[in-house]
Amino acid sequence: MNGLAVHAHNLCKRYGTFEAVRGIDFDIARQECFGFLGVNGAGKTSTMKMIYCRTTKTSGQLDVLGMDAATHPREIKQRIGVVTQDNALDPELTAAENVMLYAAFFGIRGTAARERCAELLHLMNLEGKERSRIAELSGGMKRRVAIARALVNDPEMLVLDEPTTGLDPQARLAVWQLLLGFRERGITLVLTSHYMEEAARLCDRLVIMDEGRILAEGTPRELIAQYAADDVLELHAVDLSRAPLDGSVRRREQHGDITYLYNDDNTALLARLAQLSIESTRHVARPATLEDVFLNLTGRELTD
Amino acid sequence: MSPLVALFHRNSWNVFRRDFMAWQKYAFSSVAINIFEPMAWFLAIGFGLGAYLTLGKSSLIQFIAPGMLGLAALNAATFDACWGAYERLNFNGVYESMVTAPVDPLEIAGGEYLWQAFRATLYGAIFLVVIAGFGLVHSWWALLSLPLLALCGILFAMPGLAVAFMVKTQEHLFYYFSFVTTPMSMIGGVFFPLDKLPHWLQAIAWCTPLYHCVNIFRALVNGQLHPGLLGDLAWLVVVMALLAYLPVPFLRNKLAR
Repeated sequence: MNGLAVHAHNLCKRYGTFEAVRGIDFDIARQECFGFLGVNGAGKTSTMKMIYCRTTKTSGQLDVLGMDAATHPREIKQRIGVVTQDNALDPELTAAENVMLYAAFFGIRGTAARERCAELLHLMNLEGKERSRIAELSGGMKRRVAIARALVNDPEMLVLDEPTTGLDPQARLAVWQLLLGFRERGITLVLTSHYMEEAARLCDRLVIMDEGRILAEGTPRELIAQYAADDVLELHAVDLSRAPLDGSVRRREQHGDITYLYNDDNTALLARLAQLSIESTRHVARPATLEDVFLNLTGRELTD
Repeated sequence: MSPLVALFHRNSWNVFRRDFMAWQKYAFSSVAINIFEPMAWFLAIGFGLGAYLTLGKSSLIQFIAPGMLGLAALNAATFDACWGAYERLNFNGVYESMVTAPVDPLEIAGGEYLWQAFRATLYGAIFLVVIAGFGLVHSWWALLSLPLLALCGILFAMPGLAVAFMVKTQEHLFYYFSFVTTPMSMIGGVFFPLDKLPHWLQAIAWCTPLYHCVNIFRALVNGQLHPGLLGDLAWLVVVMALLAYLPVPFLRNKLAR
């Protein structure tokens, strides 16, 4: 069966009076890596919880692997893998016991479970840690145990809520490598993140969420083109109010004493500024990133 | 589907297995803690207070000994259903990870019932051996205490789990201990016969499941079976049927956040 991995239409989630998700639409194709980006409280986790059938929608439509999430949670769970934000590993069990117990919930027992467990811990570079208690493992290892556990039923789709939050750079890189490997193998990946770099590297497509709504959707490249520009020039403490730059600058933003100029070519723009004798005490010339898209859409000020 | 039916679901046994695997790692201290305190009560009241009292032809310690089986089941099931399950729900992410697999909260409740049945049976059985050692067991019927202990474990787990899944903070569990289980163990016929209590208090005592299971334990240990015990058993089954589903909606609600 082909078709969509996830289809959501006007999906809402309310907790009491708090509207966590306010009518979002998205489609996730099979075998793609799809990202939800946003700050804390944007509604990413609530959306994920609905996708992996931990909680039910308040209204709207949500289909996962062609099944209605409201009526077929067990069937959906049977075919997906989930890594939650906090790993939810059992601290009273060892790494191997965590994986084996989870296998049992999918009806995998005995020798088959032991073999699957050994294979997955090997894949996650966790040999020698089988008998370690969870508390003895580093953050990166815990995350890898959680990923191993999520793979135990050979899922078609893997749902990961902030898979690299709280990890050191090496551990984060290791998780990225794993996820890219899963994508190669044709597993649909759904993840949330607040790291733009991560989304740009991993995701085929992504949506940017804020306050329960989707602000933008597209490939990382499309989003940068649409909501930022190729390049960004950051200037410190300059007065550009009379500079005739309109032709070369697509968008201008001012935050404190930093001016952001979104443009298509930093070199040309710097030359033009030099011509106009505008000098900044310090400037940063860099390519635009999803960070800029994100901050353009949601504002640079801290919202909470 | 009621949790009593879910007891037989594959995943309930897996939930049981999880608790068993975790318990194995601290089994010794768990057994020690669960046996030492009731033993102290038993010895202090049975021998200490018992030296001053007799109950008709029987000694006080002979009266208390089978009652301790009921108390052991109550304490074993209540302690872990409250503290343990509260932690598994709120601190350890144990249930959280279970429901990302195809496990329903109903099966979690079923698994916890099985687990408390195990605890109640184990700790009660140890007590049975101890009182047998004191020469206070007078009939092979006492072996039937084992299945009854399991039944009591399930029964006492039901309200305990409901409370654990209901309360907002761990401190609130004390309400249940102070207002329900401790008074119940005082008036449940464990330590003294109820016939001299005021009538209204006897009526309350009669309603508690502890009173009825202690009646049966006492009859089994003394080898004095009579048809009235079927009434006691029936009452236990009725209470079980009434409470079986109670923890599930609270758990479902907490896990759906």
